[in-house]
This record gives sequence, structure tokens and C-alpha cells, in this order.
Amino acid sequence: MSGGGSAALAIAAKDATETWRDGRFRWAAGLLFVLLVAAIAGGVQYQRDVARQHADAQRAERDAWLDKGDMNPHAAAHYGAFVFKPVQPLSAIEPGLDPFLGVFVFLEAHKQQLARHRPIEDASPTRRLGLLTPATAALVLLPLLVISLTFSTFAGERDQGTLRPLLALGVSRGSLLAGKALGALLPLVLIITPATLVAAVLLYLSAPADPGAPIGARAFGLLAVYVVHAMIWTGLGLAISARARSQATALVVLLALWFANAFVMPPVAMAIAKTITPSPSAIEFAAAIEDEKDTWPNWDQRVDEVMQRFLDGEFESTFTPANVEVVALVESEAAETALYDRHFQSLFDRYERQGRTYEHASIVAPTVAARMLSMALAGTDAAHDRVFAAAAATYRTQMLTTLNSELSQSGRLNTFDYVRGRDLWEQVPPFDYDVPAAGWALGERWWSIAVLVAWLAGVSAAAAWSVASMRLE
Amino acid sequence: MVGFLARHEWKLLTASAVMRLVLIVFFLVIGAATLLGTARAARERQTYDVFQQRAAQQRAQPLSLRADVVANEKGWLAVVPPAPLAALAVGQSDVYPSYLRITARNLDALVTGDQIEHPLAVASGHLDLAFVVLFLYPLLIFAVSFDLTATERDRGTLRMVLAQPVSLREVVAGKMIARVVLLAIPIAVIPVVIGSVWFATAEFVVWTVAVLVYGLIWHGLALIVNARGWSAPANALVLAGVWLMFAIVGPATINLLIAVRYPMPSRVEAAVQARAATQDATLQGSRQLGQFLQDHPTSANVGRDGMRQFALLQARRDQQVADRLQRVEAAFDAQLERQQRLAGWLSVLSPTMVMQDVLLDVAGTSANRFEHFRAAAEAFQHEWQQYFEPRVLDAATLTPGDIAAAPVLAYSPEPATAILMRTALPIAGMLIVGLLLLLSGFKVYERYSL
Repeated sequence: MSGGGSAALAIAAKDATETWRDGRFRWAAGLLFVLLVAAIAGGVQYQRDVARQHADAQRAERDAWLDKGDMNPHAAAHYGAFVFKPVQPLSAIEPGLDPFLGVFVFLEAHKQQLARHRPIEDASPTRRLGLLTPATAALVLLPLLVISLTFSTFAGERDQGTLRPLLALGVSRGSLLAGKALGALLPLVLIITPATLVAAVLLYLSAPADPGAPIGARAFGLLAVYVVHAMIWTGLGLAISARARSQATALVVLLALWFANAFVMPPVAMAIAKTITPSPSAIEFAAAIEDEKDTWPNWDQRVDEVMQRFLDGEFESTFTPANVEVVALVESEAAETALYDRHFQSLFDRYERQGRTYEHASIVAPTVAARMLSMALAGTDAAHDRVFAAAAATYRTQMLTTLNSELSQSGRLNTFDYVRGRDLWEQVPPFDYDVPAAGWALGERWWSIAVLVAWLAGVSAAAAWSVASMRLE
Repeated sequence: MVGFLARHEWKLLTASAVMRLVLIVFFLVIGAATLLGTARAARERQTYDVFQQRAAQQRAQPLSLRADVVANEKGWLAVVPPAPLAALAVGQSDVYPSYLRITARNLDALVTGDQIEHPLAVASGHLDLAFVVLFLYPLLIFAVSFDLTATERDRGTLRMVLAQPVSLREVVAGKMIARVVLLAIPIAVIPVVIGSVWFATAEFVVWTVAVLVYGLIWHGLALIVNARGWSAPANALVLAGVWLMFAIVGPATINLLIAVRYPMPSRVEAAVQARAATQDATLQGSRQLGQFLQDHPTSANVGRDGMRQFALLQARRDQQVADRLQRVEAAFDAQLERQQRLAGWLSVLSPTMVMQDVLLDVAGTSANRFEHFRAAAEAFQHEWQQYFEPRVLDAATLTPGDIAAAPVLAYSPEPATAILMRTALPIAGMLIVGLLLLLSGFKVYERYSL
């Protein structure tokens, strides 16, 4: 065992040294490192700027809400409240879906809206070609370096005729594989370690004084996902290098797999998901809500109907006719909230099903699974967005309930003359959103975790089998 | 002579098993992209038709004849018509507004209905023909031309060919022509075969020319790398790197540079500014309106005079708020335009980014087509407001005749010449770069060592 182990280490040391001495590798690795650090620095700066904007805006909005002067509580509900989406610290590493999601929601009486102003709408179309982020560098560019390190591992030695002499020295195939794998992973460690340190220092320096939630576990999870993903590609590279007819074939096959994983599978998986679970276009979604509202009684009819119930003695005796309008208001508000909730839930349910189908497709594309996990850990995926949307909707209900119950409890004859001030506005607490725990995020993405683990096990087995059965010349 | 060499090369290329596999994959991907795009465009067309019909029906049988309901609550639903080449490039059509609701108010005169889709779908992009052209086409150009002469030289057959009365320049030219044609044909022809609706439209001609010109750039790059005289595997590796830099890493890095150096103006800050700018007008107006009237005018207890007064107060308040809002929005738009101009200059560095702009413009899924539609909608809004505002202020009940006489939006899309004018410069630029690359490729080939 120790003999095999030392042989493996010797092979690893030799390979890693050769790789390191190779000018082309140093260029490629150097470039990747520079890109990675630029992406981290750019991401941290951008994230810090946007986080500050959102925090400032939320404070200004709160002040505006409190200082809006005296008015009727229902007028205050129409004045409404802006809720800005808090920016997650790890979006500096993985912005995920943030550029494709609205940055704020306007909460008001009678209506609910989807979050508005997705940054992608304002960006020039070329932004759709992709943004260099640390996550992209780790999940798309790093595998290329892995491919360049592994494609010639066995195929190259075979092409040069050095494979047979190497095994003739008494090195077992198992030690050979272990040595080659270590030899490929060592240079990666030399890139990943300093890049992680840079990211950790920059994230620490840019962290707000009062962090909303601890990010240690999530950050560690991100690193683990990127490392496991790189290991999967290492195993794939070794397995294919051992099987391929020549190193050129190995390179072409690996590059094709890389391209399919990073660029073809995501849109194809989404096209499949949308075919299985269609989702409405904007106009269909809006029309469905409007059609349902059109069948409702109008305001005058609502008031008449409540008045009739009042005359029938349905309400307590303290109930004055003016309160009839408040009852109508509260009832219509409840019906509207229920209507919007139903349509929004149905839309989000469809999106969630589309997301699951998309995630299931990762069974043939580990990069898709790694990306899903990466976004989940950074808190920038669709699941986190849904939690935020739910929090905003709950806050809206809370705000309206506070204001409406004030109206119905006022005990005044003419309810809509009733004016309140700052003391009531203060009863509506500031919007507070707690990011779910890392464990919840991982639980949502159990399929992706399973896929990554299965792929790692699969490529390890495939590499072992390929090396055990590989031709020597 | 070059023609003969090209035909010979064509036979060799089409006889190779590997090449056949590459071409079959290419055909399949182009076919799949075109089918997906055509299905998507058909769905868009269908939605458009359904809502056009629906709007016409609602005008014929309105739910209410109250002027403010017809003019404001229902308003005019202006659905953005699908572009003729929408099947070729999804572009920004998955995020831009797909319809506008036009009202006779000063405030909320044009309410945009931003297209909704799973954010993951927007983030993943779409497998459309634009994707194939931008990424796969260059990759395949490199795949068929990484070994123009290297293997023949290493085996010594190139020397034998050149013993015939042909020059190396002619041999290389023949090889290049065969490869340019081989890849250009499927990418230009398959979309026509599968989605024959837009064959021979002016837009499609511009599209095809742009694709061919874009291809020249990549053929030129391949030629230069081949001319350096490295081995075939070395060429393959270098070309893979070139593709990665120009098509993937370059645009991504430029986008990062734009995001950090020229960040878009913040919508969040604009929202806060708009709130602050309109606060006084909103509050003052609301007080004037009376707290209940503001939100729930019941015709039963205020009477028609009350309704008139209410409408007037509301219109006055809306005007004041709209004026202030417009200042904030104009400032934001100016800032956004400045940012996009700067960003546009940076994207000249990548042929993929230039080409993406051109393709989306031609397909009608970039900002230009939508801006054109929006301008038409704004002009129509003025007509709509002019017609309905007096009736709303009068709290009038309309007759079916009034509704029939209301203005109608007749939108005619941008003429193809406008698109041609916009795309001529980038296409010409790409053509010049492509030709320069090809010329320098031949130039370098003069020093090719056999």
C-alpha cells in the first residue's frame, strides 16, 4: 500500500511539476487567476454599491411613510409602501438570478404587483451574452483548465509510447490513476486557494457592520460546490483520456461535453420545462386577473349589499350606516388579496415546476446541478425570490389590516373623514426580511446535491474502470 | 484554377466521416433552434391575435358606458405585434413590455406590461438561431479549418501538390472557399426551408448578409492561425483559445467592465426620487380631493356635479404629479442613454457583441423595435386623451356611437430601410475587419515553410 502510495505521490509530483513548468499552462492559469480576481473584485464592488442603494432607499422610504402627514388610513393604504429587495452578500460571488428579478415591490391597496425593474431590462442586449462573475469563472472557465490538464494524461503518454514502460516499472494502474488525479488537482489548488483567500478578505472588508445573516456556512458551501465540480471534470478528463484513441480525440470529446454542459443544456432544459409546464405570458396573466374582477359587483353594489345585510340585522347594534362602507372596503380588500394571491401562487407554482424539470435535466449535465446549488447557496435563486415575494405579500396584508382595522374601530359616523397621523403610521412596523437558513436552501436543492454526488462517484468509477481496461498503445 | 481546387476540396470535405458528423450535428442544432424559434413566434402571434380580437369585442360591447371606465379603467390595450423575424432571435423580447395599456389620464397614461418568464429561462438564454450563429458557427468554422495545410505539409503531400502549376495561395484560397460555402449554406438555407414564411423579406437578406460577414471574421482568424505553420493539434488548441477569448471571455469581461466602470443608473434611487418629487403634489391633491372621494366615488351619494368636481380635481392633481415625475424620469433616461453609449463603445471590441446587436435589431427583438412601438403608442395616447378627457371631466355616459368614433391605434412597424440604415455601419465594419484578417492571413501564408 505504502509502495503504491509513494508511487502515486511520485507521479503526482512529477506531473504537477511538469505542468507548472509548461509555459502554456502558466499563461492559461495566470489568465484564469487574473479573471477570477477581477471578477471577485468587480462583484464585491458592484454588490456593495447596490446593497447600499437598497438599504438607503429602504430607510428613505420608511421616513417618507412616517412623515407623510395626517390623512385617512385608507388614503395611507393608497400611498402604499415600497419594499426593496435586500442584496445578499454572496451575490458578489454568484449574482445568480438577481439581474433577472425585479428590485422592488410596490405594496398598495386593492392591487398586488410582481417585483418590478429587472436590471436586465435596462442593460444593453449584449449583457445577455453573459457576465464574468466568480461563479462563472469557477463553473465555466475552471473546467476548461481542468480539461487542458487532463486530456493528454493517458492518451498523451500512449501517443508517445511511454505508457507501457511506466507500467513495466511495477506501478499499479490504481496508483497510476491516483497519481495522475493528484497531479491534475495540485495545480488547481494553486489557483483556487489564493482566489478563495482574496474573496474571503474582500467579502470580509465589504461586509456591512450589521450583517443580516451569517454567511459562513453558505460561503463554505459555495467553495465545496466549485471544488466538487472541478473534481468531477478531473475524473471525466481522466476517464476519457484513458479511453480515447488519441489525445486529439480526447480533447475534442471533452470540449464538446464542456460546451454542451455550459451553453446548450441550460436553454434546452428550460425549453423542455416550458413545454411540460407552460406559463402564461404577461398579457395572459394580467387578463386572467382582470376577467375575474370584471365579474365582481362594483363598489356601489357592494355597499348596497352590505347595507342590506345591515338592515337584515346581521351586524351588532353599535354599527352605524357609515361603517357599512368600511365593511364593504374590508370585504373587497380581502377578496382582492385572495384573488391576487391565488394567481400569483399559481404562477409561482408553475415556475417552481419548471425549475424542478430544469434541475432534473442536470442528471446529464453536472454543471447545471452545480449552478443550481451555487445560486441556492448565494441566496440568489428563484426559491429565495419566492420567499422574499411571500414576505412582501405578508407585509402588505399586515399593513392593510392595521390601517383598515383602525378605520372600523374608529367608531365615527363618517369614517372617511377620519384622519390619523404619525402615531398610526408607526404601528406599521418597518419591513424586515430574514433570509432563510443555509440548511433550507440545501434542502430545496437536494436533487442537485444528489446529482453532484452521483456524478463524482460515477466519474471516479468510470476513471478507475477506464484505466483498468485501457489499451497501452 | 481556384474554382477547380475549391470543388476538389469540397469533395474531400464531404467525403470525410468526421466532417459529416460535424455537419450533421450542425444541421440538427440549426434545425432544432429554428423549430423552437418558430414555435415560440407562432405562440406570440397567436397571443397577439387573441388579444386584438378580444379588444375589438370589448369595444363593441363595453362593460360600462361611463366615460372614465371606458377611457381609463379599461383604456386601450396596445399589444406589441410580433416581429417578422422573431423566430430567429428571442433577444430581449422575454423581458421587454409585450403590451401597453393606454389611458386618458395624465398619470399612468402608458402602463407597461413587462413580459414575464421564469427568471431562470431569461438567465439561461434561448437556443435560437442567433445563439447558433453567435457561438456555434465560429466554433464549427474553426473545427473545419484548423488543419488547412498542416497535416498535408507534415506528410509531404503539400510539396507534391505545389509541384503542379498552382501556387500555395491558390491552394489555400480553394480550401477556404470550399469551407466558407460548406458552412454558410446550412446556416442560410435551413431557416428558410423550415420557416419559409419570411423567405426573401428585406430583413432576411440583411440577416443573411450579416451572418456571412460575421463568418468571414472567423474564417480570417482561422487562416491567420493556419498560416503560422504550427502542427494541426497546436492550431486546434490555439483556435479553441481564440474562440473562447472572442466569443465567451471577451464579452463577459467587457460586461463586467461596463457593470463596474459604467454602472446603469439605479432604478431604486430613481423610485425614491420620484416618491420625494411627487409627495407634495400627491398629498396636497389628495387633501383637496377629500379622503373618501379620492378612492371611492360612489355615484349614489355625490351626484353628477360632485362627480365632475371630483374628476377635475383628480385631473389637476394627476397633472401636477405627472409633471414632477416626468422630470425624474427624463433625468433617468438621459443617464441610461449615456451609460448605454459608453457601453456600446466598449462592445466594439468583440465581434460577438457587435453581431448580437445587429442580429437582434434585424430580428426585431432589440430595444429599437419596441421604442418605435412606444413612440407610436405615445402619439396615440394624445389622441385618446384629447377625445376622452372632456367626456371624463364631464362625468359623461357614453353612447355606443361615442365609443365607435373613438380613435383607433393603427401601427405600422418600422420600415426595413430604417433597420438597414442602423445595421449598415456595423456590418460594413465587420466586413472590413473580416477582409483585413483574410488578407493578412494570405500575407502570412507567403512565409509558410514547407
